[in-house]
Amino acid sequence: MSGYLYEKDLVPQKYRILVSVRHDKLVREIASELEMPVQELRRYLIEHLDMILLENLPARAEAAGTKLSDNGEVATALGKEKYTLFIPILPVAAMDSIFRDVNERVRTGIPVAEAVAYGRAQIREALRR
Amino acid sequence: MKRTVDVNIPLGPIHPCFKEPARLKCEAKGERIVGAEVELGYMKKGIERIMKGRPWQEVMFLAERVCGICSVIHNMVFIEAMEQISSIPVPPRAAYLRVIANELDRMQSHLLANFSYCYTIEHETLGMYLLDLREQVMDELERLTGARVTCAYMIPGGVRCDMPRHNAEILSGSLDRIERDLRRYSGMFADGPMIALRSRGVGILTKEAAQRAHAVGPTARASGITTDGRLIHPTYRQLGFVPLSRTDCDNYARVMVRFDEIIQSISLIRKCLQDLPKGVIRGGGVCKGGETRYSGEAPRGELTYFIKSDEYGRIVDIQIQTPSIMNIEACCHEMIIGADSIADVTATFVSADPCIACTER
Amino acid sequence: MTILQQIKNKVRARSIHVAYVDVGSCNGCDIEVLACLAPRYDIEQYGIFVHNNPREADVLLVIGAYTPGWEEKLAMVWEKIPPPKAAVAIGNCPISGCLFNRRESFVDPPVKKHIPIAAEVPGCPPRPTEILQAILLVRDAVFANWEGEHP
Repeated sequence: MSGYLYEKDLVPQKYRILVSVRHDKLVREIASELEMPVQELRRYLIEHLDMILLENLPARAEAAGTKLSDNGEVATALGKEKYTLFIPILPVAAMDSIFRDVNERVRTGIPVAEAVAYGRAQIREALRR
Repeated sequence: MKRTVDVNIPLGPIHPCFKEPARLKCEAKGERIVGAEVELGYMKKGIERIMKGRPWQEVMFLAERVCGICSVIHNMVFIEAMEQISSIPVPPRAAYLRVIANELDRMQSHLLANFSYCYTIEHETLGMYLLDLREQVMDELERLTGARVTCAYMIPGGVRCDMPRHNAEILSGSLDRIERDLRRYSGMFADGPMIALRSRGVGILTKEAAQRAHAVGPTARASGITTDGRLIHPTYRQLGFVPLSRTDCDNYARVMVRFDEIIQSISLIRKCLQDLPKGVIRGGGVCKGGETRYSGEAPRGELTYFIKSDEYGRIVDIQIQTPSIMNIEACCHEMIIGADSIADVTATFVSADPCIACTER
Repeated sequence: MTILQQIKNKVRARSIHVAYVDVGSCNGCDIEVLACLAPRYDIEQYGIFVHNNPREADVLLVIGAYTPGWEEKLAMVWEKIPPPKAAVAIGNCPISGCLFNRRESFVDPPVKKHIPIAAEVPGCPPRPTEILQAILLVRDAVFANWEGEHP
């Protein structure tokens, strides 16, 4: 168990950032998109992102929304760039392998919506790991 | 993404180069920076929580105190948002006076930012010149609004006090003096060989990275993105405003963009003084209920207020998105990475003009 | 008082090092402290040197309304300053919390509760001349006769 010498536990401060109006809306949006509990997503964000990135989440999500995506329907639906570059909750390599998986499924004839749902489940698994 | 590294160099919260407390944790490989994290929490006052449920007359003063450096623009954006909600018209003379106050504020803020940068790279002479020039701008701001900082100049439907003609003459005289000095100092910065060694090619923020982090203001304009909130503002459109940009993407470009913008501000104020319409400065009006999103161009970039008010003009919900949030984020996650030494880290951090009070509110 | 002590007093009062710490303000007072550096007010003509290093400071300027992030840390900064030392509260925030001292806010003013304050400069924000005057008065009150009072 590691303790703090100089720094304090930043979890309450980070939580305060995440529950302000716009951040809360965004976190709930992402949670419903990935179909995972809000608390779980909040905990993941608090553990993996630093405070300034948490503050900047709505602006980054907005930038992801306005950027014209040119890499296909599946990538947009899965949030390939959104969840790696704009809101960096997943490493690029992990996202790439999920994306390849989903694409493979689409090629074998599974409908896009179903394949994307499978991809989202994979993302959820990756976040829980 | 958080990683565990073997060398972690903390800077702050109290650091000789930072005006405000922030904790910058640099992950280093030798002396080369491979990543950085900013931990805040030293300035969190919860101003948005205080604002909730209070009447606009009170929130107006609270909004000003989100940031003491660029207080005029916070006042302006909040008041114009309330005007948009309750459709209060602004008399043309008041609209021009608002632009003058806002541009004077931008000048002093940019001069302070460039002073901080010069001070950080240890060019104290130029820093002191700029700080002295800033005092002259502060005098003009005080003559126009009645206070140096947090002047609460704008109110719904107009401004608080008029500018008599002799004050306008004094202002245009000082603008000439300030411009002459400023051209000399910006020339010193542009041509200084030692300054170029410390600034050129340091702290590169590419256009893609700037778009990803939603960088705004001079930080974005130094990376070749011509975004400026003043383009959509009606008074600035009357004045024929055209944004500036540079494509060097480094510390040097960011400081030079600020110098150029000060000169641009001077010409905007001159134009305002030239066609300053006659008439009343307060039109009056009643603040009503509604919901809006309103943006304005602060000295550091795009400032957005998300406001929801009730029928008596009380604030129900408010969220402020300040430019420093985006710029500091772009700075610590994109610019600093790859810096060759810790000395460059502080210089790069200051070049993005960070304002922690804005960021945490 | 010996001649050596008199010399010490005189020298000490002519070289004051100042550190400032922002414990949660709006930044307005910060820049007014910075404006003291400007050639117009010229803080260095009085032998006052602003350098943000607590270990070599004599006077600590405290700005802001004391946010939870500074618990323990402000006291740590205060302990780092070698005696003789004095803390000056700049602006309304460290004195009363100004308009941040409301329901729902995170601040915990006054700063007096946490470290001993020698002088207070009210104002939101105070003018640079007032800040300068406060530092000069503190210098005369605390440092000019330190040897006589602490033999």
